Amino acid sequence: MAEAQTTEARTLPYVAAITEGIRQVLLEQENAFVAGEDVAGAGGVYGSFKGLLAEFGERRVIDTPISEAGIIGLGVGAAATGCRPIIDLMFMDFLGECMDEVANQMAKMRFMFGGAAQLPITVLTMAGAGLNLAAQHSQSLEAWLCHLPGLKVMMPATPYDAKGSIIAAARDSNPVFVILNKMSLGLPGEVPEDPYEVPIGVANIVRPGTNFTIVAFGRMLHEALTAAEDLKADGIDTEVIDPITLQPFDTDTVIDSVKKTHRAMIVHEAVRFAGFGAEIAAQIQELAFDYLDAPVARVGAPFSPVPFSPGLEPHYVPNAKTIAAEARRTLGL
Amino acid sequence: MAIGPIGIAANPASGKDVRRLVARASVFDNQEKCAIIRRAVVGAMAASAREFRFLPDTHGITEAALEEFATELHFEPVDSPATGSALDTTRAARGLKEAGCAVVITLGGDGTNRAFALGWHDAPLVPVSTGTNNVFPRFVEATIAGAAAGLIATGAVALEEVAKPTKVICVEIEDEKDDLALIDAVLTRQRFVGSRALLDADQLQLALLTRAEPSAVGVTAIGGLIQPVSEDADHGLLLKMGEGGDIVYAPIAPGLYQDVSVRSVAAVSPGERIEIRGPGVLAFDGERERILKPGQKAWLRLERNGPRVVDTQRTLELAACRGVFRRKSTGETDAH
Amino acid sequence: MTSQPNDDTLRDMHRRMVRIRHFEETAGKMMEDGKIPGALHLYVGQEAIAAGIMVHLADTDQITSTHRGHGHLIAKGGDFNRMYAELFGKATGYCKGKGGSMHICDMDLGMLGANGIVGAGPPIAVGAAFANKFKDNGAVAVTFFGDGASNEGSVHEAANMAGLFKLPIVMVCENNGYGEYTAQKNHQAIVDVADRAAGYGMPGVVVDGMDVVAVYEAAGEAIDRARSGGGPTLLECKTYRYYDHVGVRGMGLSYRTDEEVMEWKKRDPIDLFEARLSEQDIMSKDDMAAVHETVKGELDVAIQFANDSPMPDPSTLLDDVYYVA
Repeated sequence: MAEAQTTEARTLPYVAAITEGIRQVLLEQENAFVAGEDVAGAGGVYGSFKGLLAEFGERRVIDTPISEAGIIGLGVGAAATGCRPIIDLMFMDFLGECMDEVANQMAKMRFMFGGAAQLPITVLTMAGAGLNLAAQHSQSLEAWLCHLPGLKVMMPATPYDAKGSIIAAARDSNPVFVILNKMSLGLPGEVPEDPYEVPIGVANIVRPGTNFTIVAFGRMLHEALTAAEDLKADGIDTEVIDPITLQPFDTDTVIDSVKKTHRAMIVHEAVRFAGFGAEIAAQIQELAFDYLDAPVARVGAPFSPVPFSPGLEPHYVPNAKTIAAEARRTLGL
Repeated sequence: MAIGPIGIAANPASGKDVRRLVARASVFDNQEKCAIIRRAVVGAMAASAREFRFLPDTHGITEAALEEFATELHFEPVDSPATGSALDTTRAARGLKEAGCAVVITLGGDGTNRAFALGWHDAPLVPVSTGTNNVFPRFVEATIAGAAAGLIATGAVALEEVAKPTKVICVEIEDEKDDLALIDAVLTRQRFVGSRALLDADQLQLALLTRAEPSAVGVTAIGGLIQPVSEDADHGLLLKMGEGGDIVYAPIAPGLYQDVSVRSVAAVSPGERIEIRGPGVLAFDGERERILKPGQKAWLRLERNGPRVVDTQRTLELAACRGVFRRKSTGETDAH
Repeated sequence: MTSQPNDDTLRDMHRRMVRIRHFEETAGKMMEDGKIPGALHLYVGQEAIAAGIMVHLADTDQITSTHRGHGHLIAKGGDFNRMYAELFGKATGYCKGKGGSMHICDMDLGMLGANGIVGAGPPIAVGAAFANKFKDNGAVAVTFFGDGASNEGSVHEAANMAGLFKLPIVMVCENNGYGEYTAQKNHQAIVDVADRAAGYGMPGVVVDGMDVVAVYEAAGEAIDRARSGGGPTLLECKTYRYYDHVGVRGMGLSYRTDEEVMEWKKRDPIDLFEARLSEQDIMSKDDMAAVHETVKGELDVAIQFANDSPMPDPSTLLDDVYYVA
């Protein structure tokens, strides 16, 4: 596909964009390999690795035991010795199984070694509620990762950003987590055929606006965009920003927007308390205090594990309605 | 009617040395040794034995094995500090002898039985193989080994009926303590005891064999493939290595065949003293054990005064003839 | 088939052991005198293991170490100057003062770091071994861990993957009988960690970790096997830690007896080896004394170098958090 001369965008579902991104990395980087639970023979439990084993063989597409600590450790060791591993952590909730390898080894090795180690490792993982998978298969734990110096964290919301984030992550010589969303697997979007990067640390103004800023990431981007349409009725012209990368965070784009709109809200699917939105809100008040006409609002999940029941889960995850409602409340409408 | 208690000597270190790599064998784990002892005890109990003495090893193997029989049996450790070395087995042998054991079940390989015989020369043994190199212990199911030991301990079968002293090699070393080999004593060109394994045929200089078995593994096989000598024969075999004679392709260790150049082969009678001189390392039964300094002398001597190894099959045959495990039915369902 | 060590190899192993011993004795004293900041975990007593294994390895072979890592780096060829500078927290240290004792490393020597987390090394070594197999470069990874670490899930996961992928790795358990301050009998139901090897689909071997020639021979077999595609081995070396978990006298906790320490010291790996070398006329007493003196001289130079080196500039505080192209 790298040889294709056209960059004409086709419509691909999110899951196919993920596969294409991984495939193009494997074509581009001879020291890259994919390892994870069920990624080879089964093609991934979400189908995101479909066809890769047939094309690249078992040397480069590797089924591992259900051993998250072992898999991440394998990635760290292989990256430190010259490979460019792409490691799949099937559900983000499994971070607990491998947090030492993530927090104490992967994130810190370069620093602890005085720069002597380079760790070009990409970790793909799935976050998000909405499929009745209950408390241990539905979480959004990006804040855990953003708190660790040494890691980069991306959370692409669209098929275009998913492919471009994976390629950017794999080309970066630092550990990068690409947090994908399992509810979005079928989401269609335009995806150019050629390889391209979604630059790490650069936010995207998805919807320009003039008098209200919403910073939303992951699947909440789409809910925020719907809410923005709803708010038009009240004369609110919302600017929606998707940071795409949470670490390093593109503070400038957000601050510039707030200086223009004077009002801001952050939306994420993770638990609101001590969520990543708190960091963004703090930065806004530090850097744009004099520009604010209203308190910085935050929308996130309540302080509770993700519930299982179809009768409960929809009330747990923020949606366009709850976002619009909170916007109206904070704007005094 | 009991003749004496049954001794148990399990070597926790057997089946774990570097020869496992060459032998393509995994480690012989101590849980299995523990299970072997339990099965042996069950066999011994079936033969009505109730008294046991044991070697308190560093790994607590035997203690753990016997624990479940605490209410049915009487068992006592022999007083011997565990050092984690072969010395434990040797000391335990003395202890078990003093405790009046009628028979001893050993768990280990050739090295373990050798260490045991160092402490109790003509010990009555039922050796169960848990080692890497096993010429001396037979492959026998522990349950049956236990039953045979039980039959001896209770007097149902007399030791003399089923065992006679084996040949051994007595080793005298100038200015140092004596030693012993059950199967073979070998002078090598090596300089260190190191990992003990004897894996390089080029290093062999001379070997005295109590038996030369073509179907065994180890230095004994070198002789066995040239001129077999059985345990029953009174003589042994002396091999001198080097160019000018035959080249024998022999399994010098489990999983390892090598060419061995043998310059000469000669029968050796009991009592004949063979003098050797250092430098070199003396290996006994497949393991390097003693270093000979340059010029230091040693003497190898074949004797038939070694451990009395119980023929388990013969023991059970005699038990069958004597109806030890048989009773008349009372016509009702009847448990033992 | 690994042959017996020749005279050069024997002298090489002796030198490596002596280097470790004097480095550690000196470092321990300086730590307890308050001249070295932070905590040191000393390798004294275990020298035969690092020396007997590392003498088989090239710079292209990798190792992962433990919190007790100085000995591994020294045996792998570590530079005294940069080591002492790192222990002092100086800019000229191996990690530019960012890591200290517990993270000391030399990537050029394939020493992928000491590690402050018990049991963290094996998964990383599995990754290195995986990379070796992936690149088909003939290199071997060796991971060191203790009896305490053998109870960490990460070690099981790594061992299972090593066996599953038939990786070129040797998993070396340095069983010194204690997980920090807890005796082995109180932290696991087995005595030989090698017993677990079968569960990982690899052979397990136990060797006397106080006898450098025994370690050399066993490690040689295991490393050859790994290098030639035969897969991993669990090599357990029985050894003893002379000093406390941390430092020399350490926390002063009573968890073992002086008699036990004395008993092990009777089989001191350097004393045992020197007696053999002398008996066999491989090294004279004078030869050996010269090695000790040379090493002490190198340590004096290293300590001087470390003393004279500058502290890292505060402006370097945030360097190397990330790689910047």
